[in-house]
Amino acid sequence: MFSQIKLVFFFIMLMGAGGGLWYVQHLKSENEILTLNNAKLEGAVAEQQALIEQQLRDIETQQSINKQLTENNVKLTADLELANEKFNKVNASGERRDIGNLAVSKPKSIEKIERKREQQRARCFEIAQGSPLTEEELNATKKSQINAECTNIANPNYIPY
Amino acid sequence: MKDTVIEVLKGHFGDDKEINESSHMMDDLGGDEFDILDVIVQVESKLGISIPEEETFEVRTVSELLEVVGRHVQSD
Repeated sequence: MFSQIKLVFFFIMLMGAGGGLWYVQHLKSENEILTLNNAKLEGAVAEQQALIEQQLRDIETQQSINKQLTENNVKLTADLELANEKFNKVNASGERRDIGNLAVSKPKSIEKIERKREQQRARCFEIAQGSPLTEEELNATKKSQINAECTNIANPNYIPY
Repeated sequence: MKDTVIEVLKGHFGDDKEINESSHMMDDLGGDEFDILDVIVQVESKLGISIPEEETFEVRTVSELLEVVGRHVQSD
């Protein structure tokens, strides 16, 4: 009788130990899965942070470009006003410039001037879109050296007459 | 001829401007290509001469203007 009770206790203890072992193994397995998931999440978080940092850098770049475009727009507007004035310039005797009359008297000269201005306007668009200034443009300090179509952005060292 | 040219230049750019033969019509007198053309047309009209356009393309200084005009005053 006593040995039967011992046997029952033995089986109960064996089952308890087996259950405990299974439980520990299960916890270990769960823990490994959680560790892996955690690593994945940490990786995802790092990726997200890198993405956010990249987006912040992109936003800064866009803001910088936007600021540059706004500044260029102000300068180009000023140049446009100057260009408009060129067609209505009044000389020291009070006579208004008559481009039409000049074009009739000197058509080749007007064509030559306009061709040069057209090239200068094309260069203005290049500069407005981010093209760097050339040494010649940077060093222009005389009126005969400047880009007359967008002096404000093309020749920063030129001081108007 | 020189007096007429200087007179036209002063009328165009202003009496207050110091104008001499070395004056650059853009750099010193503040003009542009249209001003130079305008001055040439006025000089032609005052002196009754006609200067071929090709000869005036590179005119920038008063001395260059006088030289071109001088050629035609003598020949016309």
